[in-house]
Amino acid sequence: MESNAMEIGRKRMAFTLNGRAVEADVPSYWNLVDLLRDFDLFGARESCGIGACGCCTVLVDGTAMSGCLTLAQTVEGKAVTTVEDQDRDGTLSVVQQAFVDEAAFQCGFCTPGFVMMVGELLKENPEPSDDEVRSYLSGNLCRCATYPEILKAVRVAASRLRG
Amino acid sequence: MPNGQVGRSVPRHESAEKVTGRAEYVHNLSVAGMLHLKVFRSTVAHGRILSIDTSEAEAMPGVHAVLTGEDIRKLVAEPYYGPAFHDQPVLALDKVRYVGEPVAVVAARDPYVAAAAAELIFAEYEELPAVDDEIEAMTSDAVVHDELRPAGTFPDLKHLDGKRDTNVALDYHLKRGDPEAAFAAADHVFEHEFRTQPVMHVPLEPMVSLAVPEQGGLTIHTASQSPSFVRSEVARLLGWAENRVRVKVPYLGGGFGAKLYIKLEALVACVALILRKPVKLSLTMEEQFYTITKHASTFRIKTGVNKDGRITARHCAVYWNGGAYADIGPRVTQKSGFTAPGPYNIENVEIESYALYTNRPPAGAFRGFGIPQLVWAYESQIDVIADELGLDRVAIRRLNLLDETDPQATGTPMKDAPVKAVLERVAALMDWDGPFDTGQGSIRRGRGVAVGFKASISPTTSVANVTVAADGSCSLAMSTVDMGQGSATAHSQIVAEVLGIRAEDVRVVNPDTDVTPYDMATLGSRSTYHMGHAVRLAAEDARAKLDALAGEVGRDGWDGNSIASLFLARYGMQAGTITGSGTYMPSYAKPDPATGFSDNITPFWMVGGTGIEVEVDTETGKARITKLISVGDLGKPLNPRIVETQLSGGALMQVGLTMLEDMALDGGQVTNASFSDYKIPGFADIPVEIVNDILPTEQRDGPFGAKGVGETATFGVAPALASAIHQAVGVRVTSLPITPEKLFRLMQERTA
Amino acid sequence: MRGVEILRPGSFAEALDLLAGGDPETRPMSGGTALILMMKTGVFQPERLVSLDGVEPDYGAITVTQDGGLHIGALATLSALGRHPEVARLTPIIHRAMPHLSNVRVRNVACVGGALAHGDPHMDLPPILAALGADVEIASAKGARSVPVEQFIRGYYETVLEPGELISGVSIPPQTGWVSGYRKCTTRAVDDWPALGIAVALSMRAGAVARARVVVSAATEKLTRVGEAEAVLLDGPLRPERIAEAAEAAAGAVETMDDALGSAGYKTQLLRVHLRRLLTDIAGGESAT
Repeated sequence: MESNAMEIGRKRMAFTLNGRAVEADVPSYWNLVDLLRDFDLFGARESCGIGACGCCTVLVDGTAMSGCLTLAQTVEGKAVTTVEDQDRDGTLSVVQQAFVDEAAFQCGFCTPGFVMMVGELLKENPEPSDDEVRSYLSGNLCRCATYPEILKAVRVAASRLRG
Repeated sequence: MPNGQVGRSVPRHESAEKVTGRAEYVHNLSVAGMLHLKVFRSTVAHGRILSIDTSEAEAMPGVHAVLTGEDIRKLVAEPYYGPAFHDQPVLALDKVRYVGEPVAVVAARDPYVAAAAAELIFAEYEELPAVDDEIEAMTSDAVVHDELRPAGTFPDLKHLDGKRDTNVALDYHLKRGDPEAAFAAADHVFEHEFRTQPVMHVPLEPMVSLAVPEQGGLTIHTASQSPSFVRSEVARLLGWAENRVRVKVPYLGGGFGAKLYIKLEALVACVALILRKPVKLSLTMEEQFYTITKHASTFRIKTGVNKDGRITARHCAVYWNGGAYADIGPRVTQKSGFTAPGPYNIENVEIESYALYTNRPPAGAFRGFGIPQLVWAYESQIDVIADELGLDRVAIRRLNLLDETDPQATGTPMKDAPVKAVLERVAALMDWDGPFDTGQGSIRRGRGVAVGFKASISPTTSVANVTVAADGSCSLAMSTVDMGQGSATAHSQIVAEVLGIRAEDVRVVNPDTDVTPYDMATLGSRSTYHMGHAVRLAAEDARAKLDALAGEVGRDGWDGNSIASLFLARYGMQAGTITGSGTYMPSYAKPDPATGFSDNITPFWMVGGTGIEVEVDTETGKARITKLISVGDLGKPLNPRIVETQLSGGALMQVGLTMLEDMALDGGQVTNASFSDYKIPGFADIPVEIVNDILPTEQRDGPFGAKGVGETATFGVAPALASAIHQAVGVRVTSLPITPEKLFRLMQERTA
Repeated sequence: MRGVEILRPGSFAEALDLLAGGDPETRPMSGGTALILMMKTGVFQPERLVSLDGVEPDYGAITVTQDGGLHIGALATLSALGRHPEVARLTPIIHRAMPHLSNVRVRNVACVGGALAHGDPHMDLPPILAALGADVEIASAKGARSVPVEQFIRGYYETVLEPGELISGVSIPPQTGWVSGYRKCTTRAVDDWPALGIAVALSMRAGAVARARVVVSAATEKLTRVGEAEAVLLDGPLRPERIAEAAEAAAGAVETMDDALGSAGYKTQLLRVHLRRLLTDIAGGESAT
């Protein structure tokens, strides 16, 4: 390959990260998880690498996407929100607290992705049926199979959010 | 005096870190000057390496170095590792033995550069005949290893022999009574073959290790279930004293047996030393499939029964497909092998169990350690026998199960192994004697039960230290790895119970071999019992020292709130430390090489029972589990809530291994090494009704009556499902996984 | 993944200009989910990507046409399609199928145009659009053309798109008088690629089937219209015997493929069973997805 093949398309770009304006020098081949790692944010993780497990869930302009399937440069000028934003005031979000209270995780590697997606679910549908929860979360995998507890945590979070 | 710390559902200590994404994993870690590695892998199943051309990769801008097995050999003359045999080269030397075997490695600052450069490496092989199937491996002319070198590390594998020209890494034999005569006298003899498929653990945190060379030593940060073994094995390879190797393990994003013994650590250690740079190797999900798998198996089971359904003789021949490197396969073969006849009281038994080399990715430990493969066969066959003799499936088990006073096949008594109680509990939860709707039209329903049991790994040692600081606060240092099972929390409860403090106030130090003492490994549901005792002993030692301190300063006694005042009284200020230490190794009698007998083969037994209700679509073969019941004999639970997640988690993982997961191999090449085609259970695959039941029992010699539970719910899932399916649609599946197409074909054959 | 130049045109026309040369190293990217996967696995390493992200909101719009049909911009995401009230009202088949397509995150970024242009027979949307009689609108620097969805897919991962062409939208004719349904059949996990997709649209007149479209995908090399089944259904009532006969005709006519999702023979059985069930649901007036 030609000597600068990896350097093609590298650029400096600005975007908003968890409410803060930031800039980064971004190789064209980075995905969004790589970019977040560059900011020492590790809550979004590349696991399956094909958008199937949900470990890399990130919000871009308020829309959930798989960080591992999002080229980093495509978030230029956009607002990126990660799981680290949820307890920015020092207290766990309602969804996070529900996960703690219902013991809805084991190894914890998939947990931030679930927390993010449950947050999105409850924004769209504050009172989901169990089947709606299962369907919405079908793109998040938990190898420890903590699904029964996650379902309970969603119910608890939904009820607390409704007050 | 009990203070309620043990038996309480204490939330996991790391709860907040895990839900916020801030928990520490090796995945997150980088250090200054670090290089990323990418592995170049074999494309042939068995071949002699003729040449490896790394020149183009080396020329790529940003590449720091490219290394092959020959470079490793300059650092380590005999660069072979493994817990049972020293058979696995750090990078392939002379030969490759499976598709996906590491052949070369690229180091670069940018992991993408390393990956791109690895595609520019070219290797030429002289292909050799390969062996794929475990039965074929028994007699194949294709021999995977010319010579076998036993590691001699573990006492229970000391008997391994160096052998030539065979694919048998270990054979285990047991003979009790006179099976030949008993078969001849039996009213009925049943012979079946049951098979299981290769599968992968796929922890969502793929394997990752980082080695940092330091003055006179090496620190390895690794996602490992066995930091103490990594330390001793890397030190052995390098010819170093153990204290020059420091192994640190934070939380693990899942293990399930995949991250045991030594995986990437030898490679990162060698490369870091050769390049004198920190190096990190992060596998992709795909690469995990080339690293370790669960043993595929063939179990030929022959059973003699009298006309009432009493089992009089059983012959078990079990063949374990170990892949190209033995890993811990020999221990799976032996430890699981001796339970192959099942939890049944059988006078005449013969067992043969073979660990076999093949040209597949290596197989090792996987949650259950061989037991699910065996239970699949013996619990399936007993259903066939019940059907043939017109007996109820629960009744035939009731008739044959071992009592707690009975010796198991090895001769070791079934102490605190309530097999019958587990069966009765499953039956009660299923209302077994009540009416059951078997469905109509194209939806047919069935239900099944299965009971399995497992021995613990023995003999193994755990060590723990409990430190009390001068302000009365406590830390627990142990090398048990918390990979999601909640060990840090559960063991802190033991410390709290002994010292009369709150579990929430005990800090648990993550494994760091410079700080945390030896532990054999986090595997086989051994930690609660072994480390639990070590932690108890360490806390009791600390308590005794606090008693002595109280005496020294003239106090009658002390409690959790007055510890600081003892130090203050003794040292005149907040100063001093008390360290309690505990070491636990249960007694063990190794099996007689001639008979396979031992009256003390395991410190404890674990029993698990499963009940399943299923719906089958007769036109498509699609089966859906409508109810999944797991009954666990786990002694007194230290933390009931965590125990529950272990029960349903283990059972649901096994549902995936039973119905969905199957590593497809074509000429040794894994063709579905991705979540696109290797499907694990998601939310929609989970039964709607899941029941976890903790049998009220006590492991009398366990720490606070407890024992392990990580594997218990996996045992019976596959046979209970097959049994339920048989009731629903009348077909018997004998090989895993149970897919819709397989069921459909069997139903077609039946009607034809 | 290698270095790649990511171009961000300011308009659809500019995107067409960038693609006009037909250079195989220059690829358009909308949601990018499939493209990035291919780039990650090294199947495909383009030198330039033309990002259609945010190019003219009109190309992502979903509108009701004057005649009561729907026009869907190529850059409408699958989520937008799933949420749109007019889509739910006019084409409930799309609305009901949407939760079963891939997952929420993919649907949030994957676009209608990309789902068609990829040519992957395992996509769920193309057979649905084909059953609805939809046309693909294609634009290039040279002009525009329109192709029925069923003709748009030419083979396995192959479409009629010429170099330099982009999908600009999809038009769905009015569905008055039509009933339709889709079945996605998975054989491994519940949420998986379909082993078989069946989309059916029927127009009923005086209790008889006046027009029929039966489309099969995933089990076949490309989405396939099943004229043999349609012929059985036409001009008669939707009675169980006829339904079974149509399903049998489809099973006899459609050439299914072996792959990791199942053998060809098994997929034929799935087609036989699920087409019958889908038609039975339609006859019973039930929603079918």
